[in-house]
Amino acid sequence: MLTAEENEVLCRVGPGTPMGEVLRRYWTPAFQLGDLPGPDCPPIKVTILGENFVAFRDTEGKLGFLDELCCHRGASLTLGRVEGCGIRCLYHGWKYAVDGTIMETPNLASTTFKDRVKHGAYPVHEAGGLGWVYLGPPGTEPPFPNFQWADAPQEEFSVSEIIMECNWMQAQEGSIDSSHVGILHLDTLATMGSGPRSVGSLDFPGEPWDLDMQVPGGVRRLPGEAPRPGVWPSEDNAPKIELETTPFGFHYAAIRDADEPGKKFVRITAFVLPYTAIIGGTNGGVIVVPRDDYSCSTIGVFRMPPGSDKAAMEARARRGIDPAVWGPEPENRVLKLPKQDREAMAAGRSFAGFRGGNRVQDGAVQTSAGRMYDRAKEHLVPADLAVIRLRRLFADSIRLIEAGHDPVGIGSDYESARVTAVSTIIDADQDWRELVPGHQGTAEAAR
Amino acid sequence: MSVVVDNACTQIWDAWEGGASVTSLRVSPAVYEAVAAARTGEVARHYPLMLLGLPLVADHAVATYDPVVI
Repeated sequence: MLTAEENEVLCRVGPGTPMGEVLRRYWTPAFQLGDLPGPDCPPIKVTILGENFVAFRDTEGKLGFLDELCCHRGASLTLGRVEGCGIRCLYHGWKYAVDGTIMETPNLASTTFKDRVKHGAYPVHEAGGLGWVYLGPPGTEPPFPNFQWADAPQEEFSVSEIIMECNWMQAQEGSIDSSHVGILHLDTLATMGSGPRSVGSLDFPGEPWDLDMQVPGGVRRLPGEAPRPGVWPSEDNAPKIELETTPFGFHYAAIRDADEPGKKFVRITAFVLPYTAIIGGTNGGVIVVPRDDYSCSTIGVFRMPPGSDKAAMEARARRGIDPAVWGPEPENRVLKLPKQDREAMAAGRSFAGFRGGNRVQDGAVQTSAGRMYDRAKEHLVPADLAVIRLRRLFADSIRLIEAGHDPVGIGSDYESARVTAVSTIIDADQDWRELVPGHQGTAEAAR
Repeated sequence: MSVVVDNACTQIWDAWEGGASVTSLRVSPAVYEAVAAARTGEVARHYPLMLLGLPLVADHAVATYDPVVI
């Protein structure tokens, strides 16, 4: 639990807030590169950390990320013309370069102003299908987080974004919470092929119901087919949690009794401060970025095997989701929940009643807590250790920033590309750290 | 509070790892009061204050950031 004051500090991200100051010291994924496909294409408005910006790609293909409003009279540059290696405000024609240089001021003949003043501009880095920006003090940029997928060719990874209308910590805490997977996502497990399962006293038949949903690995079990062994090889809904703080954040292992005697089912998540969860059993991660205090983007970035059909994979990410609920277009990325199918729930066909797979199920519960959940009311349990540690690391970072130091996990003492996660069955006496070599994010051998 | 909860949670897992059972969580009076102030609804209903599934006990011998799991 947190006091009301602590909750405010944790959740609010605007300029000058304690958490806002922390987050501005990391590279922040701000937009999809696919939204700025080529030179002089239309600009886009970007809202992150409670501020509005304009992103554009100039005539030479360089990305610009500027304060949204023209510094003359405040018109939005998202209305502007992208031309001649800059973006021109429609109102009085002021024109800006990607680095914030004021190139032209047609209604001001003197060059004194534009020679002395620059528009707010921020460093941009293209990686993994995303445009990352640094909003902290100039000259304090940390090393860029080159995740394993960052340098892959565009055709080898897929990016999908859902905007959720709730505070970002509700989504972030969900991304590092393994103990809900065998419960909330029972419908997904059923479609993957896991078969009957129980939640407390409830026995769930586990027959596939939502056949169109996106499932990890893409393999579906059809109604009437036998369960597939190994899909989620444990009936244990009270995993043991082991967590190790690392230079990048933490690794945490949810350890469940496996169906097979003498074995355990280990699902390791790597959390890289402050936005990214690399999730075992997938080949990528989930990045949660605050847009403002009451909305966030959850971005899935997943690497595909060479030769995969990227368009098909990205379409599968939205499979089973009504385009009215969530689509790839910039104007259609806000999650609108489908109607919960109470009839299917009552009949035992569905556990959660939400079609669309894990991200819709997650979105349903995370937004259901309200726009900004009051954590004074919560009752955490030891299985929430990762959530608890996340909040502590942020609290530590706030104190460090206030004392004039760098926040935790800034990236100078580890390599993001070495950070991995895994989900597998191992011998009961095996140490899960052996599964994530260099688990400190360094070249150090696994223990 | 995040430090107190993290330290207590770690102690619980350590105790379980060692095969011990845990029955209560002793915290400084300041922490106890902070929890009580945040949980006014539960206090009004005369429910016991609990944290991490354990009954909370105020103990002057416990330092603010060093809760003790019993």
